[in-house]
Amino acid sequence: MRIEPIRPAGGRPAHIRHHDDLISAKSVSVTLARQLVLQNIDLSIPKGSFVSLIGPSGCGKSTLLKVLAGLVNPTSGSVSIAGLSPVEAARKRMIGLVFQEANLLPWKNAVDNASMLLGIADKSLSRADLRARGQEMLELVGLGDSAHKRPNELSGGMRQRVAIARALALDPAVLLMDEPFGALDAITRDQMGQSLLEIWQRTGKTIVLVTHSIDEAIHLSRHVHVLGIKPGRITESLDIGLPYPRDLSVTEDPEFVRLVVQLRTMLRASHQPGGAS
Amino acid sequence: MSDQPITNLSESRFASSWSQATGSWLPAVILLLATIVVWEAVVRVFAISAFIIPAPTEIAQSLVAQWATLMQATLVTAGEILFGFLVSVVVGIAIALVIVRFDWLGRALYPLVVLFQNVPKVALAPIFILWFGYGLAPKIGLILVIAFFPVTLSMLAGMQAVDRSLLSLMNSVGASPTQILFRIRVPHSLPNLMAGTKIAATLSVIGAIVGEFAGASDGLGYVIQFASTQLDTALVFAALLLVSVLGIAFYYAAEILERIVVPWAPKFSRA
Repeated sequence: MRIEPIRPAGGRPAHIRHHDDLISAKSVSVTLARQLVLQNIDLSIPKGSFVSLIGPSGCGKSTLLKVLAGLVNPTSGSVSIAGLSPVEAARKRMIGLVFQEANLLPWKNAVDNASMLLGIADKSLSRADLRARGQEMLELVGLGDSAHKRPNELSGGMRQRVAIARALALDPAVLLMDEPFGALDAITRDQMGQSLLEIWQRTGKTIVLVTHSIDEAIHLSRHVHVLGIKPGRITESLDIGLPYPRDLSVTEDPEFVRLVVQLRTMLRASHQPGGAS
Repeated sequence: MSDQPITNLSESRFASSWSQATGSWLPAVILLLATIVVWEAVVRVFAISAFIIPAPTEIAQSLVAQWATLMQATLVTAGEILFGFLVSVVVGIAIALVIVRFDWLGRALYPLVVLFQNVPKVALAPIFILWFGYGLAPKIGLILVIAFFPVTLSMLAGMQAVDRSLLSLMNSVGASPTQILFRIRVPHSLPNLMAGTKIAATLSVIGAIVGEFAGASDGLGYVIQFASTQLDTALVFAALLLVSVLGIAFYYAAEILERIVVPWAPKFSRA
């Protein structure tokens, strides 16, 4: 019966910098099939922050996210999430995952999909508890009145909202998202980004977002890490100083425009293969 | 002016769905009726002997005259098909589950199952008669060896087609292999399984008839064989007609089952 309520934002805005890092990766390298995918990654992600990983295809940003999630073991180096290994953290329901495809179960409705992972993670919860939690999460992502719809009755954006609700139902410390809006059209994508920001501010979760989109990275995150290719490594890091709460009008801010130019320059440089490995 | 095309559109959509329903059946029905008429005419005009090709009217007469015998035989064959089909589905599912759940056993079993598929199963009929006699058992055995394979194969395909990221999600919260099997893989495989089941339904009919050919004292297969030795070709055709009706009935029963079991399957999607 231990359904923890979503931590309210309270008087403490989620965007105040915390000094403790929730996630820290130290000299992480990953070799897959004799290919050096990630080289010497050092990454600190403060608790409650919104961090984006951006880079060209093949830079290993998805692999890095999988390392943080405990789905890929680093060949060398270490990752700690609140002092635990990623796998331990995942078992303690500290990690919520969202992928590009919503991967909902087509035979379950939205509310049962939203509570599906929680039901597996915590067997003590009754069906009614799970339903209540699922419903609560659907409301958080703005799908409160679609609880009984099956995935084939939902749009792509709505399915992705359910996937976010499913991750949040675990009440994780960190939300790891791998191009969650990559398959959506531009307008839906903007709306989803804005919703994600609101969810972030209401729940105070730490969010790590892998994205291809420069606009999305700047619109949403506080820190952006740029990854380069051959081998995958962090080439630059950029702090986004734009104040929260942000909405889509932030994209017209001169500072936003300046950051887009700056990030685009960094990304262009990241397309050049790195030095000797 | 501007709303007129919209009205037309919705009307034409209704009209097209109506013409689709009739339009898809009508040509087939016309062709069927035409074939029967031509058949009848050719037999009469060329005075073809009834034991070579009976006219449709003669088949109909035979059907009516032997109605009681034929119905009794149909019942026997339908029983064999149903029983054999159910056994095939259960065994087919069990083999698929074992292959997926127990990796080592699966790697031992799967090649053998595929190998066995290449054995001409019809040739097993005399052996089954030898082993199991002339009763129900050899027919069930024959249907099983003919019909389990599409069930196993389709269910395996469905269970193995689960998206890797979904498995990642499950693994990250510590789901056990058994949980992944029964919560994800099995339900995920149901649309495929139902497709395999429809194939199994058709193959079950073949299995039952082959089993009856090889040795039986009852059933439509037996009627066909007995009537052909008597040169009662009209009765052969009448029995053949009933076999076809059985086949169609089992196929559509499986199709209805599909709609009940997997209403969420992509093929039924409204989108």
